[in-house]
Amino acid sequence: MATVQMPDPFAQVPSLGPERPVVWPARTRRKLANGLEVVLVESHTIPKFTGELYLRSGNAVAAANAKSPGLAEITATVVRTGTEKRSSRQIEEDLRRIGADVGTSAGADTTAIGFNGLAEFSGDLLKLVAELAQQASFPADEFERERRQMIEGLRIARTTPSFLASERMRRVLFGSHPYSIIAPTETQVKEYRLGQLVEFYRTHYTPGNALLIAVGDFAAPQMMEQIERIFGSWKPATVPVVPDTTLPELHGRRVHLVHLPESVQTQVVVANHAITRKQPDWLRLALANSIYGGAFNSRLIINIREQKGYTYSPRSGVHALRQHGYFSVNAAVRNDVVAASLTEIFYEIDRMRSLAVGEDELSDARTYMSGVFSLGLATQDGLASQLSTVYLNELPDNELETYRQRVRALTAADVLAAARRYFDSPNAQITIVGDHGQIGDQARLFGEVTEYSAEPE
Amino acid sequence: MNELHIPLETTKLENGLRVVISPDRTAPVATLGVYYNIGFRLEPRGRSGFAHLFEHMMFQGSEHAGKMMHIKLINSSGGVLNGSTHYDVTNYYESIPSNAVERVLWLEADRMRALKVDDENLRNQRDVVKEEVRVNVLNQPYGGFPWLDLPPIAFRNWANAHNFYGDFADLDAASLDDVQQFFRTYYSPANAVLLMVGDVTPDEGFALARRYFGSIPPGPPLPKADVGEPPFEGVRRGEVEEKFGTLPAFAVGYRAPERRTPDWYALAMLDHALHGGRAGRVYRQLVLEQQIAVDTGGGIQYPVGDLFDYNGPTLLVSRVLHKPEYSPDQALDAFDAVIDAVRQHGIEQGELEQVKVKFRSEYVSSLEGGHGASIPRYGLMHYLACFTLFDNDPSLVNSILEGFLKVTPEQVRVAAQRYLDPNRRAIVFRKPTKKAAD
Repeated sequence: MATVQMPDPFAQVPSLGPERPVVWPARTRRKLANGLEVVLVESHTIPKFTGELYLRSGNAVAAANAKSPGLAEITATVVRTGTEKRSSRQIEEDLRRIGADVGTSAGADTTAIGFNGLAEFSGDLLKLVAELAQQASFPADEFERERRQMIEGLRIARTTPSFLASERMRRVLFGSHPYSIIAPTETQVKEYRLGQLVEFYRTHYTPGNALLIAVGDFAAPQMMEQIERIFGSWKPATVPVVPDTTLPELHGRRVHLVHLPESVQTQVVVANHAITRKQPDWLRLALANSIYGGAFNSRLIINIREQKGYTYSPRSGVHALRQHGYFSVNAAVRNDVVAASLTEIFYEIDRMRSLAVGEDELSDARTYMSGVFSLGLATQDGLASQLSTVYLNELPDNELETYRQRVRALTAADVLAAARRYFDSPNAQITIVGDHGQIGDQARLFGEVTEYSAEPE
Repeated sequence: MNELHIPLETTKLENGLRVVISPDRTAPVATLGVYYNIGFRLEPRGRSGFAHLFEHMMFQGSEHAGKMMHIKLINSSGGVLNGSTHYDVTNYYESIPSNAVERVLWLEADRMRALKVDDENLRNQRDVVKEEVRVNVLNQPYGGFPWLDLPPIAFRNWANAHNFYGDFADLDAASLDDVQQFFRTYYSPANAVLLMVGDVTPDEGFALARRYFGSIPPGPPLPKADVGEPPFEGVRRGEVEEKFGTLPAFAVGYRAPERRTPDWYALAMLDHALHGGRAGRVYRQLVLEQQIAVDTGGGIQYPVGDLFDYNGPTLLVSRVLHKPEYSPDQALDAFDAVIDAVRQHGIEQGELEQVKVKFRSEYVSSLEGGHGASIPRYGLMHYLACFTLFDNDPSLVNSILEGFLKVTPEQVRVAAQRYLDPNRRAIVFRKPTKKAAD
């Protein structure tokens, strides 16, 4: 018997096998006679379906046109507490009876009625969603209860470092634009009147302002018929637009310190204006962000977490709102390394702005971006979220299909150009939230410091 | 409709490593995981927080993949990765395009074979973990409430009662020897299960598992562990200062039954009737109707675990944040009235039927998701791991629903009486140190 010498399987990193093709499922799209846009995708992984009814109006239009920040949010919240046909309790029990969830919320640009449930009860769930969108009854007692809950929620948010940092950063970047406000003040919440909610609802919850996305275990043609039956009678109306306001011009780095007494850590945010999802540079910027601080393997995380241990979960991100966008770097760091962390954050930004990325790092980052994108294919939630990005931003219909090849075509020159344009190191705004006694001296090293209280203005 | 048919294939290698594969060709991606049957319950005394610190060390380097190589090789294959520490298990997982399956198995096997870390790595991750504790607990309103607050009040055995995130002095005391010792003791193939869900064929998956994991020595037998807990007697009360938040809060912990006992199925339905969203009795009564509370929540191991991923003494938890114009005792009385009603009358047949439909619906969703869209089928992997390690039967993932759907209203009432006992429970109050302005 001969003994066979087995090669050591650990001697070499296994190379990647051949890729199986990534095939995005077909969409069924239709615009109903009343203007409602519908996008459907079949996904038979589990016997459920999920989706969103979006209205293209959110807190920005409420702040700009009704001078009432947060009005879209409180409207969405009260929408689920009663319709002309059902009480709050009835709604919740009906949902449980069919194994479904509904969530209503509003961001800056959109309001969403999200839903998911068992496919066998899809008609019942869609009928409830349609009722919420058309026949909400705004019970006065539910409104008062939600108002109080919102106030208590805001009080807690004002003790949360990440909230305080975002709030200040958005004020600095967006000035008099409604995007500067991420939450109302307590006084503003106390001033809401029920009539304002009803008015916002009548004006903005209309089919011409809406997009319905559904993904799940159904046959698309039958689902489309069902949606036409349920949503076809929704009355169209015209919707006011949000006026665009110019943004403040930010020259030079400044430090915005929010004093949070007794804070045992400092929340650091570095941010500057960038672009929206529709702009042609978006993908180049997304790749630059991924190399800088958007992935576990990115430069920022290797530096301030894995080499220096300043922070647990640093991240950079590119954030697209409908009219404007911004780039931001976030880290919650030890109080005695605020200056050291900022130094490294800017060092890594400046490196992105001055030196072209090497071929290996570039190729790794491209594979990362296209790989992670395809993970969205595997679940109903993942598909719904990809579709929302495409259709809310009015991107081309073949956005998903062409994404991977467009990522692969990006070059080191693209990354350098995007970093130079959108990682605006010289004019970046620094927000820090912490105890001023511990971090004030460190802050002053980075620019003129303006101090704010964590208490509402 | 209540029976699931998720395909499963299993094998066991000679060194004791169990391998479970659930193939699905829907998309060319897979989620892989290695689960070790060790969590923070069994970390060494004087080393609170060690199991979690150790989890961080598993990303710091192995014999053939030095510091950052593990992370770099997975990200640069188009995948994402993480790990998490629970009471009784610690997991390491990756979601990747399926052409990277072999590479990920190579990485996981290398760190199961030969963790290779040094003092510098340990110092670095100790600092990272301290910032993690600050951002999640010490510098956060209601940080650690109630998951770090309740165990020391409820339990008497150090294993169940200590601070799982770790006292900083204990984290500082952890040495490289501790790391190697913990690794040798618990990170053996016989104490683990390897899972592959998604675009992997069983033939290919088993062959690769043998190739990379087959030669790892089985390791020493596991030490005997005592996680036993004396029976709950009396009401155990405690207080914790709330430095940031403005609302008073309390949480109640009742001892939960062992998994897969008849009481466990019944208590799961009762838990849903109490804590299932806005229709749940606690939220409906305290927030929507009486308007004493601003928010409520609860469940078995809430909010850090679930119904399936524990294997020792645990709590059914209920958490209430209430308005400052009510005293903690008033709020607790209102909560107790809700509990008293189910102890006296159980729940209605119609209510139980609703709860069952909702439970089935959530179970199915958690199999596909469970951890956001970037980790497809995390929940399936997680349940398969727990059913393998704790029950030696991964096929429970298909059959377990049956037990919940058979529960009767009478069983729910009996479970309420047996477990939601006002005279045998732990209560922690979070007291704000600053008053809310008004």
